[in-house]
Amino acid sequence: MAAAALCWALRAARQVLPSPCPRQVRSYYVDWRMLRDVKRRKMAYEHADERLRINAIRKNSILPRELQEVADKEIAALPRDSCPVRIRNRCVLTSRPRGVKRRWRLSRIVLRHFADHAQMPGVQRAMW
Amino acid sequence: KDKSAASKDSTPEGASKRREDGAETPKQQLLDIIGNMKVEVSYRKKLQQLKASESKKQALNKLEGADSEGSMFQAAAEDTQRGKPLNPELVKAASAVASSFPRNKKQTESELLAQLRRHEETTDKQKKGGTVNIRQVISEMTVKRQTPAQRSARISGRISLQLDEDGQRIRPERSSAQSVDSRRSLKVGKRLNIFTKASAEPEHALKTVSSPTIWDLEFAKEVAAVTAQPPRNGFEEMIQWTKEGILWEFPIDNEVGMEDGAEFHEHIFLEKHLEGFPKEGPIRHFMELVICGLSKNPYLTVKQKVEHIEWFQKYFDEKKELLQEI
Repeated sequence: MAAAALCWALRAARQVLPSPCPRQVRSYYVDWRMLRDVKRRKMAYEHADERLRINAIRKNSILPRELQEVADKEIAALPRDSCPVRIRNRCVLTSRPRGVKRRWRLSRIVLRHFADHAQMPGVQRAMW
Repeated sequence: KDKSAASKDSTPEGASKRREDGAETPKQQLLDIIGNMKVEVSYRKKLQQLKASESKKQALNKLEGADSEGSMFQAAAEDTQRGKPLNPELVKAASAVASSFPRNKKQTESELLAQLRRHEETTDKQKKGGTVNIRQVISEMTVKRQTPAQRSARISGRISLQLDEDGQRIRPERSSAQSVDSRRSLKVGKRLNIFTKASAEPEHALKTVSSPTIWDLEFAKEVAAVTAQPPRNGFEEMIQWTKEGILWEFPIDNEVGMEDGAEFHEHIFLEKHLEGFPKEGPIRHFMELVICGLSKNPYLTVKQKVEHIEWFQKYFDEKKELLQEI
């Protein structure tokens, strides 16, 4: 009964239990460019629906052209950071903008480092 | 015993007809009844028999050790239990069976009728999806005593890798012991309901507590940290991962997290949301295309689709003056 009450209390507070294996906790982003990228991603997520709908009106052969021009102006008026094209897939650990493998979100140098220390499960040096 | 098992699909009506042959001894009568029982064709009786067969098995297990005339009693019990709804027939059959016994006729008759009543209750409960009494389940479980040989075999088995792709036992010594165990555990006992969906525990008793204080939280964290032992084996590790959310719950539910209670027709037939639009013209054409696309989209919920359409409605309403110029 008391254990159930404690469990409920824990769940309500949503606190993480101190687990036996220590995990690295990062409280800062690696650099400002990474922070800006994060902001752009958030904005793109917020405005994604609107952009989709306005683009559906624009890329159309049915609706009158005047309507489409108005839609053009509207989408240009949205904040610049809300477009997904401005997002750059940076390395998650080093914020390197180039040489990033998409599957791991890591730059090639970091990926190589972890793979050589056997910390990437299932990744092996190629040999054939 | 085989004869009585084979003559399961039969009715007591044959029994009542044959009972009037008073010339033979009661025992001979009953044997005749069993031997001459007809195969019943109607489906209703078969259903009843199927339901009664479960109760029958329980009755058989109970009756097995009880009497010296074991086979006779079983046959008689089957005979009496088969026609569950036909009560006057049952009473007549019970009296006939009881009269065949050399001793305590009234007692056996009353026992038979009492058993019938009990079996009626159990089959009714099973029909309704009877409750699982944990006490009964636990009382059926017994503590197993291992011989030292078995214990050593088990320990050595634990050390060596037990996983075998074929699923067959590596050692023949283990197989005999474990087949006995599996025989006991597979065929005996009630459902434990392990693989049903975990229902949320009723927390009505705890809701009286207002928000827990920081000290309560700290105490709870301390207790959890002390009692959380590292997992002893792979099963406990998997349990811990399931609790943390790393591992999915088995059997895998494809709709975890997606609580869309809408039926398929709400996803596909979206034309009723098109009422705010003009009936003809390019806008209607455009919206019909939009709806066609939405109906094929399995990833959005109905609410999201409706919001999509409403956004367009609002947009075109705002642009109304512009549209009138055109």
